Amino acid sequence: MGVGTPDPDAVGALYRRALPQVYGYLLPRCGNVVVAEDLTAETFLAAVVATQQGAVPDVTVPWLIGVARHKLVDHWRRQGRDDRRRALAGPLGDAVDDPWEDELDRAAVYTALTRLNGHQRAALTLKYLDGLPVADVAAHVGRSVRATETLLARARAALRRVYREEGHAD
Amino acid sequence: MPTDPLDALRLPPVPIDPRPEFAAALWRRIEAGPGPLDRQTATVRYFVTDLGASVDFYCRLLDFEEELRPSPVFAMLYRGDLRLLLSVPGGEGAVHTLPDGTVPQPGGWNRMTLQVADLAATAEVLRSHQVAFRHDVQSGIGVRTLLVEDPSGNPVELIEPTSGYHERIRP
Repeated sequence: MGVGTPDPDAVGALYRRALPQVYGYLLPRCGNVVVAEDLTAETFLAAVVATQQGAVPDVTVPWLIGVARHKLVDHWRRQGRDDRRRALAGPLGDAVDDPWEDELDRAAVYTALTRLNGHQRAALTLKYLDGLPVADVAAHVGRSVRATETLLARARAALRRVYREEGHAD
Repeated sequence: MPTDPLDALRLPPVPIDPRPEFAAALWRRIEAGPGPLDRQTATVRYFVTDLGASVDFYCRLLDFEEELRPSPVFAMLYRGDLRLLLSVPGGEGAVHTLPDGTVPQPGGWNRMTLQVADLAATAEVLRSHQVAFRHDVQSGIGVRTLLVEDPSGNPVELIEPTSGYHERIRP
């Protein structure tokens, strides 16, 4: 796509097809139109650069969503650095009491996710909303598998705490 | 193996159409390619309280053009080679709020300086629109100047070159 692509009509068609998919991936996960638009733009502009550099032979919707996922995690990692001092989840020690009822209020859990710090939000989103294996989550968040398992455990506990605080405990 | 209740959070991508204005603006950037993004555009950011009033002020009275207004808290304007970013501080996802919670405020004394061809005429137009003046037209070294405020109280200096005016000649 972009300059150097032989068929601009095909690029336009791909753009029209892919834009709602990429935006539809990002918006529910970040829950913020401004951020979703920024990350959508970053995703497509990164695709333009990658295509011009010959880094990707064929831009597809799944490839673009993969780029969008990276952009989203990068955003949350930056946010995680920014809000480290005001992180919701303090040290939890080794004991993580993490019981979840079988029937979740999904909308309430998604809302609770937005109140976690960036690192926790990224890990839980990749693991549960995207359904990635822990090894893939680890690759995205730049940690070892073991460290990612710890991050996920703490993030689950933090999520549970927020969910409970907002009146959705059993 | 017991099921994990959080697996119910799985969220397959569902297509969502973004705002048409956003889709059109992004397409223009894609068509232009990444080249223009490498340019060193002089950029100023002003914090404003009322985005609509601010865009109106700069575009109607000071010859700016609106390039983007993707959200209620941000707009990008151009006046020649100058890019002006207008941001409404605070609010959800506000990236300019400091870690200690400090929210940027409009105002202060630092200002951008815009050249106009006829300062007296510009002053008249601004006065007729009830623009706040910090000081009226006065003579400085090589310029006549006027200091006004945008609707949020940010100073904007307007200058008209006079004898002795100096500016580097562009290559």
